[in-house]
Amino acid sequence: MRTILIIIGALLFSGATFAADQSGAKPDPKLTEMLAAKDENGKPIISPEQQTYFNGLNDNLRELLNQAVKKETITRPEHLAALLALQLRPQKMELVLQNNCILCHSDSANHSADTLFSLTPASGGASSHMNLKEVVADVHFRRGVSCAGCHGGDPSADLGHDHVKEWPEKDRAKNREWIVQFCARCHSDPTFMHEFNPALPTDQLAKFKESPHGRTLLEKHDSRAAQCVSCHGVHGIRPAKDPQSKVYARTVPETCGACHADSKIMAGFTRADGSPLPTTQLAEYRLSVHGRALLGRGDLGAPACNTCHGNHAATPPGIAGVSRSCSLCHSANASLFDGSKHKQAFDRNNWSECAKCHGNHTIAKTNDLMLASGKGSLCGDCHREFAKDNPNCIATADYFRGTIKRIDEARNKFSVISEKLAAKGLDVEPISNQLTELTDGLKKSRTHIHSFSRDTFQQVALPAEQAVQNTAVLVHKAREEYKYRQFGLAGSIALIGLLILTIYLKLRRLEK
Amino acid sequence: MGWYYLGGITLFFFIVQVITGVLLLMYYQPGETTAYESIRFLTTKVPFGWLIRSIHSWSAHLMIISLVLHMFSTMMLKAYRPPRELTWVSGYLLFLLTLGFGFSGYLLPWNKLAYFATTVGTNIVASVPLLGNWLLQVLRGGQDVTINTLYRFFAGHVVILPLAVVGFIGLHIIFIQRQGMAPPLGAKVAPRGMKFFPSFALRDLLLWLACLMVLLTLAVFLPYGPGIPGMDWELGEKADPLAPAYPGIKPEWYFLWEYQLLKEFPPHLFGLEGPQVCLFLIVIMFGIWGLIPWLDRRVRRDKPSPAFSDFGWAAILFLTYLTLLGWDIGAGGASDELAAVHNSARVCALWTLLAGAVVILVRYWRYEHRWFLLTGAALLQGALHGLAGLSYLLAGVISVVLAAIGIAVAHVAGSRTDRRSET
Repeated sequence: MRTILIIIGALLFSGATFAADQSGAKPDPKLTEMLAAKDENGKPIISPEQQTYFNGLNDNLRELLNQAVKKETITRPEHLAALLALQLRPQKMELVLQNNCILCHSDSANHSADTLFSLTPASGGASSHMNLKEVVADVHFRRGVSCAGCHGGDPSADLGHDHVKEWPEKDRAKNREWIVQFCARCHSDPTFMHEFNPALPTDQLAKFKESPHGRTLLEKHDSRAAQCVSCHGVHGIRPAKDPQSKVYARTVPETCGACHADSKIMAGFTRADGSPLPTTQLAEYRLSVHGRALLGRGDLGAPACNTCHGNHAATPPGIAGVSRSCSLCHSANASLFDGSKHKQAFDRNNWSECAKCHGNHTIAKTNDLMLASGKGSLCGDCHREFAKDNPNCIATADYFRGTIKRIDEARNKFSVISEKLAAKGLDVEPISNQLTELTDGLKKSRTHIHSFSRDTFQQVALPAEQAVQNTAVLVHKAREEYKYRQFGLAGSIALIGLLILTIYLKLRRLEK
Repeated sequence: MGWYYLGGITLFFFIVQVITGVLLLMYYQPGETTAYESIRFLTTKVPFGWLIRSIHSWSAHLMIISLVLHMFSTMMLKAYRPPRELTWVSGYLLFLLTLGFGFSGYLLPWNKLAYFATTVGTNIVASVPLLGNWLLQVLRGGQDVTINTLYRFFAGHVVILPLAVVGFIGLHIIFIQRQGMAPPLGAKVAPRGMKFFPSFALRDLLLWLACLMVLLTLAVFLPYGPGIPGMDWELGEKADPLAPAYPGIKPEWYFLWEYQLLKEFPPHLFGLEGPQVCLFLIVIMFGIWGLIPWLDRRVRRDKPSPAFSDFGWAAILFLTYLTLLGWDIGAGGASDELAAVHNSARVCALWTLLAGAVVILVRYWRYEHRWFLLTGAALLQGALHGLAGLSYLLAGVISVVLAAIGIAVAHVAGSRTDRRSET
């Protein structure tokens, strides 16, 4: 009996202890006062959502809030409301509450608009890069490099505004050269970076120095040139895989276009040949197959600006560079072209390989008409101008075109027929298999025209043409089968009809 | 007299089902990796396999059509009156068993369409109070539709239901043989019918052969059905229990009215769940239908019962309106879903009203019927719902109340006339 009583007593005690644990750290009286504060209209300053968020905070965070209130880094309910409104996850909230810079700079009573962190910087009149939501989403902040990491000082001390020595005292906005060196303090240090992200390269500065952007900024001292923050932003820097990042694949065209599509910013910049640098690239890219795939369909496999031009070493590809860029994805076409006669002719004339026929930023969807020999066609026009002495070439283009057209037309025709036959209940699986082969052959044939050789082209076109013939035979068989069914039906109906007639006559005779 | 042959035609389609079913059974292999594949093999590789499956499917639908026509003609001709109540009941049970055939056979090819339709269909029993979840588990062989469901549907389709149907057909025919076919109402002495053999049997055979002709023609020219939703048996893709259900899953055409009725019920009604109330209503309707021989008291005294003739027509119009709604007739071309529902209700109501008007006129002129209260109520419900935009249930309640008032008034007036004629 006594044992049972002891057990019950122990259970009650542990239950009470557990319940006490659940109640959490007791808030400081000042904090309680702030939580219950009301504005002049009698409305609570801490909204119900913020109150719910506060109630859900763990002991550690409550204690940090208590300390902040005790140390008077949080003194007003409005300030507390601004912090609770962030609705941060515990890890981030802990970083914020341990950071005196953020605590002090988020109190509107202490700071003017240009140094005040705000949740809605635009309406509060604060500078746009003082968005507190962005700051806490920044990859540096999340990995523990907060304000002091760049600005210096000691965030755990009460006050400290000792800027790091690389931080220029004046003309920071006019002369931007310091920025690259500033970021490189960490980003070019492999040992240091390894502690944060071992997968991140540390050669950005070296590449940047060699790029036109880098040379313009560091050699010509022209601060219009892009540097780190132009593409990555300042507060709110996110990794490239984050869809909200300024360097996320689908956002890259906009980020580059912010300067390259702006004729005012680009005024005075020239190409190697001295002609003015155009500003139409973004508009052209948007209309191209690549732009439509990336921006329209959201296909992240499609190239953005940096896929061909590079990132930190962004540069216009040279004549040879164009085809190398294209071959990163279109390797089969590039390899066929490299082994073709055109390769030497293009090299002789100093023509960029792929771009000569397909263009660069405006790459349109290819069509079989490009192969024709008539006026206005790609092959025909070029050959009439540059290779008049070679009638074989025109004949080859016509052959390519004719063969591809035949296979394509057959595929379209048989696809429709196959659907009709299937609706009639015939087995179209063999036809579908041949159509798959045919489609595959057609794709390969279109690729193999880049060999500009009949023999190479025929290696893939002949099996496709064979598939056309096989399909025709199968379609014929299926039609014969359908005819057989109809004849069978007609025969059966005739037989049944005869039987009906016999029975009818018999019945009449019986009933007479 | 043509109505007397419908039972025989139904029997013919049943015989076709048995023969083609046995032939299908020679290739069909129930199982997760074999059910769909074996049907696919049967229809594409086996000589005439496509024909057997096509005939089996066509014959199933035609059997239900002829069975429903047979049932309604029996109802209209009052052939259920004493002493033939049990013939009606055995026929009624055969009708329910045939619906079971349709439902169980639908899942057997284990394709996507069948899988989801069965999931939706079996889910309805979950609404049965208290026993719902247990019934669902019994029906599905588990919580969800799985291959276990297919096994028990297969057993039901090829063993249990055929045995039951054969038994009841035997009973049905024994009753008919012993009692003869029902004479027309009012005939004091049964008219001397033709001899069963050879006259009736040969005529039946003629009709059966004609049906075979139609069946073969349909099976060859439309091997996957006429392309009407709920009457389509193209194999399509294999069932994938992990794939999400797709919109627009609909049952076979003969279950469409129940499906639509379930849709018209709100989620909650009278403190119960909407589907529960609907299921209760459907059970009551089926119950009334089965008990007609005892409910129709006038005809038991060999007096005409115009109210029950009208009840039959009202039932047809009620089912027609719901089935048309279930088919989304007239929903095309609408800008949004709500507009589509309204458009469809309007068009379906117009078609039902047109059909109702034709029925009433023909009955009035040709058969001199004068009792249209229930037909009127069915049409009024369609008009209130489809044309005036009232909710389906409210329209139904208004129509039923008005019909009840009408019946009460007619009853009082009728009894007065009776008394006067007696004095």
